[in-house]
Amino acid sequence: MIVGAGVAGASAAATLRAEGFDGEVLLVGDEPDAPYERPPLSKAWLSGQAPSIEVHPPEFYADQSIELLTGTRVTGLDAAARRVVVGGSAVGYDALLVATGGQARRLRGMAGERVHHLRTRADSDRLRAQLVPGERLVVLGAGFVGCEVAATARSLGVDVTVLEMAGSPLERALGPEIGGVFAGIHRDAGVDLRCGVRVDAVSAADSGPVVHTDRGTVECSVLLVAAGMVRDTGIWEAAGVPCDDGVLVDAGCRTGVPGVFAAGDVAAHDHPRYGRTRVEHHDSAVRQGAIAAQAMLGRDVVHDQPHWFWSDQYVHTVQSCGAPGVAVDETVVRGRIDEASFVRFGLRDGRVVSVLGLGRPREVMAGRKLLLGGHPVSADQLRDESVDLRRAGVRR
Amino acid sequence: MTANWVPALELDELWEGEMTAVTVGGTSVLLVNVDGDVRAYRNRCPHQEWALDEGDFDGEIITCSRHLWEFDARSGAGRNPATCSLSVFPCRVDEVGMIHVDVR
Ligand SMILES: Cc1cc2nc3c(=O)[nH]c(=O)nc-3n(C[C@H](O)[C@H](O)[C@H](O)COP(=O)(O)OP(=O)(O)OC[C@H]3O[C@@H](n4cnc5c(N)ncnc54)[C@H](O)[C@@H]3O)c2cc1C
Ligand code: FES
Repeated sequence: MIVGAGVAGASAAATLRAEGFDGEVLLVGDEPDAPYERPPLSKAWLSGQAPSIEVHPPEFYADQSIELLTGTRVTGLDAAARRVVVGGSAVGYDALLVATGGQARRLRGMAGERVHHLRTRADSDRLRAQLVPGERLVVLGAGFVGCEVAATARSLGVDVTVLEMAGSPLERALGPEIGGVFAGIHRDAGVDLRCGVRVDAVSAADSGPVVHTDRGTVECSVLLVAAGMVRDTGIWEAAGVPCDDGVLVDAGCRTGVPGVFAAGDVAAHDHPRYGRTRVEHHDSAVRQGAIAAQAMLGRDVVHDQPHWFWSDQYVHTVQSCGAPGVAVDETVVRGRIDEASFVRFGLRDGRVVSVLGLGRPREVMAGRKLLLGGHPVSADQLRDESVDLRRAGVRR
Repeated sequence: MTANWVPALELDELWEGEMTAVTVGGTSVLLVNVDGDVRAYRNRCPHQEWALDEGDFDGEIITCSRHLWEFDARSGAGRNPATCSLSVFPCRVDEVGMIHVDVR
């Protein structure tokens, strides 16, 4: 029984079959669609350029004997009796995977026909319908989703203003220096980016939403609230599953309650490299889903891959491997941060523990290999652009 | 139908455990040397068409640099996710060590 038909749930279902499980697999999701990928919702899907975002082709579920129940919500759990309430009726299970992801954070008083949040395909479709040239979009929050939508909206010819409380975009995830690079990228693209602004309230005028800030009001015709994600764990907590801003799981995605597992954005995973982490990354959701499926089959597995995420804005792609917050002794930059073309390595004990790159996929991949291999490598080799990183780290 | 072999690269230039992209008849082809056996694939990730030669090859698995989809280098079969695979081009190495690919 898999609750939540996102990428984590879809990955778990596929893995159960790939691992030879021949019992019943039920995948229940409350959205109307079969599992799809969320990353394009702020990028190519939003601009109408992604032909398809489904995770598996439609026939996959029948071919694999996976029963997919869409538009159906799970509303209760009795872990002792191993039963969940699915669309109003009790259904038994042998193993349960909680893969319910998260929801867009909503701020009080922000609703209406021209006010948007972005988490689902329906959200993206509704927003897309209003992103036409001549409209004025205001984005609250310059995190990844806010920045990506700003970039997409500019490419669609929409006027964009971004309001951010911190000193630069993406500051929480990437730090002020790289945040500053993104500030430049967005301003060069014509975004009116205002940092250090506190939003107090939103009211509705005939012309559209009006945002009230500590520095005056901003009018717009379309408002996106991009204030991050929340994890709704009420059902699981009520059933005695330990939760703390996410369902607490061990390295193998087990909750400690017999037969109950969790994976993806909803999970607060005890990562062998980084300790307790709550991430909102596509790759982690896919991998945790696969690990959870194996754990459900009784295998002794752990998810210990370094975290991986990416973000696309205009022509720029940022990629990160490791955990940006991981402790390092030394930071080495290869390339030029101010030219938006660089890889930044974090070193600990002479080994690569984090890799963050902008516009350098090849070197990020080489850096990831150094990280995975765990071989000693010198800062000079990493910094020297004449060294082929794929051959670095062999000798000191 | 007879094969349409086009010389693509000398085997000497593709070491074991390496991959590289070449253009054959206007098509970008990924050549991979897996333990001495050469394989040829369309140099586009089945996920979002990214060039695979920017990714990683560890001797066994090809990993796309965009979203880390993984493929078995010998068969092109998907590993993560398992539901997608690379498109294969026929290829062979002739007696003088030239790799030929048929991209038709
Ligand atoms: C706009 C956007 C852009 C993103 N871009 C990137 C990116 O560029 N790179 C990156 O690494 N990550 C990105 N992410 C994050 C990534 O999409 C998530 O990490 C990933 O979707 C998590 O997958 P999941 O399966 O855990 O959860 P989800 O995808 O949230 O799926 C969970 C599903 O469960 C359903 N559900 C919840 N409760 C119930 C219930 N009680 N009963 C039934 N169903 C339920 C939900 O409706 C949802 O359909 C992005 C996310 C968004 C929203
Ligand atoms: S384009 Fe290759 S993994 Fe997405």
